[in-house]
Amino acid sequence: MMKFKTRLEWKPEYSVGDASVDFEHEELIGQIDVLYGQLCGNVKAATVEAVLGEIHAGISAHFALEERLMLKAGYTEYGAHKDDHEDLLDQIHDLMDNYLKDPVGGRKMLRDRLTDWFGHHFASFDARLHKKLG
Amino acid sequence: MNPLRHLGSLTIFFFWIVLISGIWLFIFFHTSVNGAYESVEYLTHEQWYLGGVMRSLHRYASDAAIVTLVLHILKEFFFDRYRNARWFSWMTGVPLLWMVIPLGITGYWLVWDQLALYVALISSELLDALPIFTDPMARNFLSEESLSDRFFTLMAFVHLIGLPIFLVFGIWIHVFRINRPNINPPRAVMTAALLSMLVLSLVYPALSQGKADPAVVPDSLALDWYYLLVYPLMNSWPPGMVWALLVGFSLLLCVAPWLPPGHEPAVAKVDLDNCNGCERCVEDCPFGAVMMAPRSDDKKYATEAVVSQALCLSCGICVGACPTATPFRTRTVLSPGIDLPDQTVALMQQAIRDASRNLEGDRRLLVFSCDGSNKLARLNDRETAVVKLACMAQLPPAFIDYILNRGFADGVVLAGCANGDCQYRLGARWTEQRINRVRDPQLRNRVDDETLALLWTAPWSDFPHETAAVAAFRNTLSAADDQPVQSASPKVRGPLFRFTIGAVAWSMFAISAGIFSAWPYFSQLEPGNAIVSLTLSHAGQRLRECRKLTQEELDKLPPNMRKPTDCPRERHPVKLSFSSDGTIRYQQTLPPSGLWNDGESTVYHRIELPAGTHEFFIGMVDSGRTQGFDYQGRSEVRLQKGQHVVVEFDRLRKEFVFR
Repeated sequence: MMKFKTRLEWKPEYSVGDASVDFEHEELIGQIDVLYGQLCGNVKAATVEAVLGEIHAGISAHFALEERLMLKAGYTEYGAHKDDHEDLLDQIHDLMDNYLKDPVGGRKMLRDRLTDWFGHHFASFDARLHKKLG
Repeated sequence: MNPLRHLGSLTIFFFWIVLISGIWLFIFFHTSVNGAYESVEYLTHEQWYLGGVMRSLHRYASDAAIVTLVLHILKEFFFDRYRNARWFSWMTGVPLLWMVIPLGITGYWLVWDQLALYVALISSELLDALPIFTDPMARNFLSEESLSDRFFTLMAFVHLIGLPIFLVFGIWIHVFRINRPNINPPRAVMTAALLSMLVLSLVYPALSQGKADPAVVPDSLALDWYYLLVYPLMNSWPPGMVWALLVGFSLLLCVAPWLPPGHEPAVAKVDLDNCNGCERCVEDCPFGAVMMAPRSDDKKYATEAVVSQALCLSCGICVGACPTATPFRTRTVLSPGIDLPDQTVALMQQAIRDASRNLEGDRRLLVFSCDGSNKLARLNDRETAVVKLACMAQLPPAFIDYILNRGFADGVVLAGCANGDCQYRLGARWTEQRINRVRDPQLRNRVDDETLALLWTAPWSDFPHETAAVAAFRNTLSAADDQPVQSASPKVRGPLFRFTIGAVAWSMFAISAGIFSAWPYFSQLEPGNAIVSLTLSHAGQRLRECRKLTQEELDKLPPNMRKPTDCPRERHPVKLSFSSDGTIRYQQTLPPSGLWNDGESTVYHRIELPAGTHEFFIGMVDSGRTQGFDYQGRSEVRLQKGQHVVVEFDRLRKEFVFR
């Protein structure tokens, strides 16, 4: 199984077979990568918060689109995939809150967990979706 | 399960009862002059346990449908739910009225009792006022001989097939523009409605009013006021005026959506930079105003949301569904994929910040109110701030998370209109489902349900009711974990109490449906009077005699036009005069019918006279003469109370007949 220990990077083999989903995956990976870079550097907490907010909005919209496509395609694993989406949304809220409460300590935790947070879902659930849509 | 929240669907449910009971009645119904009344009597008395019940259900469900229909119209009108994009449903409801009323009228006609005869005569008089029929239709109902079985077949077709098909089609059009229309009321409401009609049918069965007899005018009739409300007007108003009232009222209903005061808020707007075509707004729009269209920008999405100007009611429910409408975004001005230009989520976010700024204490509440729960603005105090939305479902659940987790308040109250009273139909339902995490976008799990209260109100509910509920919820915020948590909702009564209230309400409804289906009684005549009907269909003589053409005249004509005689088509009008005991009761010049004034002159006219012996005289001129009459009749008639005498002209014998 694919494991994202370091920075995320979009590769053509990640394609799930739908141009819009692939486009958003690429965008999100780009955003997460930017944030990861910021967390390694020395940027203001407000900047990190703003990027997190955009990732939160982007990922919410992306999940909504992906769920619509799964429903239209009659994807049998929709339920489990959807549950993972909801878990991920809960997690990103926690990540955001933790960071806001303690920007210095939260920065490291965010850096450690950010790629895993999305990477696991990407490598497991979205990879299975690829077989249906691709 | 308040039936007032399901008036439209309840009307449709009553229609189904009428349809099913009507099928049973039709199995036993005889479509003939002599068989119609007897077959209905058989159903009513011999087969009372089924046919009789079905007949009563058929009648009372029809009456109940009118009650719910009128309440449905009044509710939509007084809650201002007929303007802007709603004009379509409102206007397409008007023809439904014009189908439902004739459906009931033709039903009463088929029974062929005294009420049916009255309905037949008055309906015919109304129709005769329209320039449709050459011969007065009412003349067909002056004697049984003039009525054929064919008529009942025609009437049965209109009542059983023609009008119901148009009605079903009309209902389909009526709800065509509505997303997820409520076609069926909740099961409990259906059960209560059916039971109430069933009990009414058993306690107060529908009965006929004596076989139709054209020679008799009954002292009084048990009129169904739900369907025949305007018929008594025909006693004192000319038919043209009754038509003017009916058509005028219908036209007024049709133009009502455009009458002042009107208000047309800006419709929802899509921001393509934030729209990925996820379709949640399409899914949640109660009016089908958001549609998907091929992408118009260069982003790699297949579709984008498009808002129909003609359908959008600016409720903002689409905004509440948009996954990008999240207040956690701070990089730029908050702009979701779809938004209301007049009430943006950015303004909502600002309003929340402003409202919470002055709140004090550790039990601070943010109350969201909607268009229908405006009065809640009075709740504002040191601990409570009210933020107004277009509709409760305009609030994205992320905002609740944001308010509670970012410390803008200690509790959130969503105080909107209850399901069925929602100004935008689905606002309450979608809000509840999102809060209960069964509809997207879902409220995040980390939001403590104890810090959130739903307070569904009715537009007519009293303000203290909401104040008490909000106060009760505030108390729960400070309750220790081991203390019993109070409900934020007003105290809910026990099932027995609710059952009793429901039973009483449905009984009242059934009683009102039953009472006005036959009461108050209506008398066509002043006590002790009788009716004389003048009826005639007679062609006046030609204005000029036919003339034989000379050979010279014929030669001048083309060969195919050489008719030996020239007969002008125009006829004289017929002058008719009727007097009783020397007093002229009717005197008219009746023009010939037809485009060329070559048809028959016709009349059907009712005259009410006191019972007793009268000397009748009737004279007719059909030749244009100015002195005397071409035909005349005289008779001494002893009128009985409630008798119906017909005076007509026998074409074959060329004389007047009094019968």
